[in-house]
Formats: sequence, structure tokens, C-alpha cells
Amino acid sequence: MNPAAEGTVYPDVTFVVEPERVAAFREVFGQAQGVPPTFVSVAEFSVIPTVVADPNLGLDFSRVVHGSQEYTFERPLREGETLTARTHIDSIRTKGANGFLTIVVELLDPEGGLVCTASAQMIERGQL
Amino acid sequence: MRRELATVQVGLELPEVGRVVLPGDVKAYADAGGDQNPLHQDEAFARSVGFPGIIAHGMFTMGHLTAAVLAWAGEAEAVTKISAQFRAPVFMGEEIVAGGRVRAIDADAGTATLELWVRVERDGATEWPIKKGEAVVRLA
Repeated sequence: MNPAAEGTVYPDVTFVVEPERVAAFREVFGQAQGVPPTFVSVAEFSVIPTVVADPNLGLDFSRVVHGSQEYTFERPLREGETLTARTHIDSIRTKGANGFLTIVVELLDPEGGLVCTASAQMIERGQL
Repeated sequence: MRRELATVQVGLELPEVGRVVLPGDVKAYADAGGDQNPLHQDEAFARSVGFPGIIAHGMFTMGHLTAAVLAWAGEAEAVTKISAQFRAPVFMGEEIVAGGRVRAIDADAGTATLELWVRVERDGATEWPIKKGEAVVRLA
């Protein structure tokens, strides 16, 4: 990974909280109601292909494992609403043979108000 | 119904929730969540990158942990923050056990902070697929 890619901001992506998708997610985890907090990972996975394909970042996704994850909510997501996912690379660090990449996705309402912040740390494992 | 603040004390443990992870569960999660990484579906690929077999998505394990927190808190809207560190892989057929404990209560804000974990018993030892998890939950 290229440490100079830290701070990269990717183009905004529209994220619809599709009720059928929410229902499928609830079913996997046996949940009765609401939008599961970790449903936000669907928004993250809608932008991750863009990050993986960024030639300036140079991430080898075949060696990536998920290190840690955090979600902070200003309010719960609502089924059917349309949000904007704004993504940036928050930090890139190297420790030994491993690289540590923190990707932050902010979900914004149509007025630009923050709804949720998702922070994912990915570990690019050193060559075997 | 949200859990009531008056029923919660620091040190209170959440009921542990176990789930045996099967390939069909991980495939259902991949389809619902969008993470189709072959590490979670293809044995040969998983071995080629150094694992003995398919592993569950970290987010599958975190989703199970979150479901346990929501069951305790009473509703999905109660969680204002949740985090996890992924410390060990989960292999197919293993039972993941989600647990937690009340670390702090903020009576003015009406919230409880929980410490969270997911454990697996493997070869006579306890492994921690999730350690140092944390959630902030609104109480009634």
C-alpha cells in the first residue's frame, strides 16, 4: 500500500436502505424488528470495490483480513430512506510485514446531516 | 420495549448466546451483506491464502454479537455505538458464543456502556474471535 494515499476522498455514492435487503439481513441474524446496526456494512461494501481498485492505493485485497470495526449512530437508519455514503482513507500504517488501512464511511441525509459513521480497519497480511 | 435503567447495574452479565456457524449461514450473509470474498465460500482459495478451511466473515460474527446485544437491549434503535476487534478466525461447524457485561451506566444520558466478546472452544482452549467489543445502549 502507498502511505501517500492517506486522506484520499472517494466520490459520493447513493445508498438506499432497501426494505427487502434489511429483511434478508434480519433473517440471517434472527432479528425481529428495526434496521440492524451492522446493516451499515452493506453501504461499506458498496464502496469497497472502488477503494480496492484505486491504483494509487495499491491494496492487495487477496491478502486482506478485517481487523476491527466501529459504528456510531446519530440516529437509527430508516427503512426505505436514501442516504449518501462519503468515503475516505483515514489512515495507513505499517507494522512489520503487515499494512493497516482504516476506511471511514459517513452516511449523510439529504440535508447533509450525519446519520452514521462507520470505521473499518483492514489488515493487508505480509506475503506468506 | 427498551430495557429499563432501573433493572441494570454495573457488572451485570448479558445472557450468552451461542450459534453453530454453517456454510449456508455464511453464504446467506454474503448475499445479504454484499461481501462475496471467496475466503468465506471457497475451500481451495482459503487454503491458498494460508487458512486450513473457509472462515466466517468477521461481520457475520459481529452481526451475531449485535443480535445478542439487541435482544438484551429490547430494540434495534437502542444501540448508538458498537465496535469489535477481530482476533481469531471462525471455522465452519464451530459454535460462536456472544457475551457481554455492563461496564458503566450514565443515568443522566440514560445509557449503558457494555463490554462485549465472542468466544469459541477449540482443541480444549478458548479462542476469542471478538475481543474488546463495546456498545453504548439507550435504556428506558
